[in-house]
Amino acid sequence: MMRRWVVSGLLALGGLLAFESTAVAQEIQLTGPLAGAPAVRGLRWHRNKRFEVAPMVSFTLLNEFKHTILAGAKLNYNLTDWLAVGAWGAFGVAHINTGLTDEVEKVNKDRWKSWDSATADAETVNKTLVDRNATVLSIGKDFPSQTGTIQWVFAPQVTAVPFRGKLAIFQKVFVDTELYFFGGPAFVGLKERADFDPGKEQDRAKLVSTTCTAPVDNQMCVQQPKYETATRVAIAPTFGFGLSFFTGKWTGIGLEYRAMPFAWNNSGFDSRGGPPDDRGPDYKVDEKDRAWRFNQMISVSFNMFFPTAIKSSP
Amino acid sequence: MKQARAGLLVAMALLAVPAVSTAKPKEPAAPAAGATDTSAAATDPKAGAADPKKGGAAQPVEIDADAPPPGEEPPAVATGDETPPDDGGGALEDICKLDPDACPKVNMAEAAKRPLKAQMYAVQQIYALRARRFEIQPFWALTLNDQFVSHPAPGIALNYYMTNVLAIGANFNWYQGLNSDSEFNAQTRRAVHVGVPLNEYQWSAAGNFTYVPMYGKFAGFGDFIFHWDAYVVGGIGALSSRPIVVFDPRYRNFSYKPKIAFNAGIGVRIFFNRWFAAIFEVRDYIYNEKLENIEDVDVHDEAWRQNESNWLGESKITNHVQAQAGISIFLPFTWEYRLPK
Repeated sequence: MMRRWVVSGLLALGGLLAFESTAVAQEIQLTGPLAGAPAVRGLRWHRNKRFEVAPMVSFTLLNEFKHTILAGAKLNYNLTDWLAVGAWGAFGVAHINTGLTDEVEKVNKDRWKSWDSATADAETVNKTLVDRNATVLSIGKDFPSQTGTIQWVFAPQVTAVPFRGKLAIFQKVFVDTELYFFGGPAFVGLKERADFDPGKEQDRAKLVSTTCTAPVDNQMCVQQPKYETATRVAIAPTFGFGLSFFTGKWTGIGLEYRAMPFAWNNSGFDSRGGPPDDRGPDYKVDEKDRAWRFNQMISVSFNMFFPTAIKSSP
Repeated sequence: MKQARAGLLVAMALLAVPAVSTAKPKEPAAPAAGATDTSAAATDPKAGAADPKKGGAAQPVEIDADAPPPGEEPPAVATGDETPPDDGGGALEDICKLDPDACPKVNMAEAAKRPLKAQMYAVQQIYALRARRFEIQPFWALTLNDQFVSHPAPGIALNYYMTNVLAIGANFNWYQGLNSDSEFNAQTRRAVHVGVPLNEYQWSAAGNFTYVPMYGKFAGFGDFIFHWDAYVVGGIGALSSRPIVVFDPRYRNFSYKPKIAFNAGIGVRIFFNRWFAAIFEVRDYIYNEKLENIEDVDVHDEAWRQNESNWLGESKITNHVQAQAGISIFLPFTWEYRLPK
């Protein structure tokens, strides 16, 4: 028992020695004429006690069904040169179909176009009817209009600037540069497919069936509805990092990466909620069909700092 | 168990010994700090009032970034008969008195005879020289632009810097066994009966040129300085891929085939010391992908479905964008600057 305590004590002492010796070595480096001097003298305070106004354009990444371009602005008040509080707000100004959305819509239109009763083959029509019945709940007329989109975002956020420096380009041009990190809550205005439950009378009424035409005129053919969309606000964490390149005393260019993970049904499909383990379809579209997405975007901005006069550190 | 404790003790001792052996006796801080204050006050008229260590208030001052430093006249037009200023060598002597180890031991007369290249660089004595050094970059890559199949990969790159800014090299990625078909694909197929042709990768290799146009340094938390550079890279090589069977798994079975692939990318390298760095890179591999034939197989007979020439459909120029994070090791570890600082 005693021996165990001795060995444990020696281990602890060894650990302390290891840390202590590292710290002493660091102090030795700071002797000489520059001992006690700050890492940077005369640092230009691009942020300290200044307001930042940055018009910004953002482009979403890795989207399955719709790319969104957001236009907005970032407003910050810089409490110090390394800490700012503010907010970012933006509106989705363009929603662009992905290749998958166009492909699904092409198949959708082909599947639901009427056939020529005089020439159509019964086997082919029957196969089409199977596809129609199996997919009618997930996809309505005009598929792109039922896909989810980000309408707007408002995000109060805190920004920390741990790294400040300068950059030489082609050994000729020098730019003050910083790397910053930010985070906060995001309020995201979403438009996605409205809940749809054929078990409810008002929804079942939208699935109208009529008698099919030849060559399958002994069957009932469902008519494809156009599904409605609804809006909601999702609350999600948002975080990211960015680079600022200061082109002047009060101007700069920013490049930023942002993530906003939250769950949404960006396809409008009935994908989840049923067996097994809620991972299969449950023949209704509701919040169970939402899936977590990382929702990433990159942004470019033109940063302006006020007041325009710049100060420097001692 | 006893051996484990003994091993830990030895490890602790090893950790402690190198740091102690390299450290020098700690000198009194006060004279050094005083010297700093003096030199700072002598060289910077604002420093005496601004340095909180000297008891002065740290008052920020407004500056005009484009104006010459205080006390300095705008440069006059050279007439050719000025005498060079005499620096007296006082600062050098101070350094030698305070820290003899840091005292430059250069024979200035000999150094002056060495051939000079009449070119001034914006950054003198770059912290980590790359010229005539090898760089080994092991990294891990992640897919950035394929929401259907992710292609993570370990990889390695080897570069030789012919100059400080230009390197020739090669890189290699291994993907097989790591490709991951997203659950989202199955959900889409089930929900709307629409299949998307999918592909997976086996490996890629390329020869590349690297150019380093940007070099900089950052102060971290206002406390420590680290150096970094940014580079562009581009080259040509091959990427081996094959379709993942989606449309007719009963008959189709694809094998990997290499395709010519061009690549271009940008990267950032953060130096921890003069030979060890972290790298972050985004690389786009551009190649002509062969996709699975998406034609409805039910309208064809068995013979058509078994015929391999019917398995592939259209070709498509594909961009495979991947993010890479890794480390960079420069060899040899040390070098000598051509000129003293």
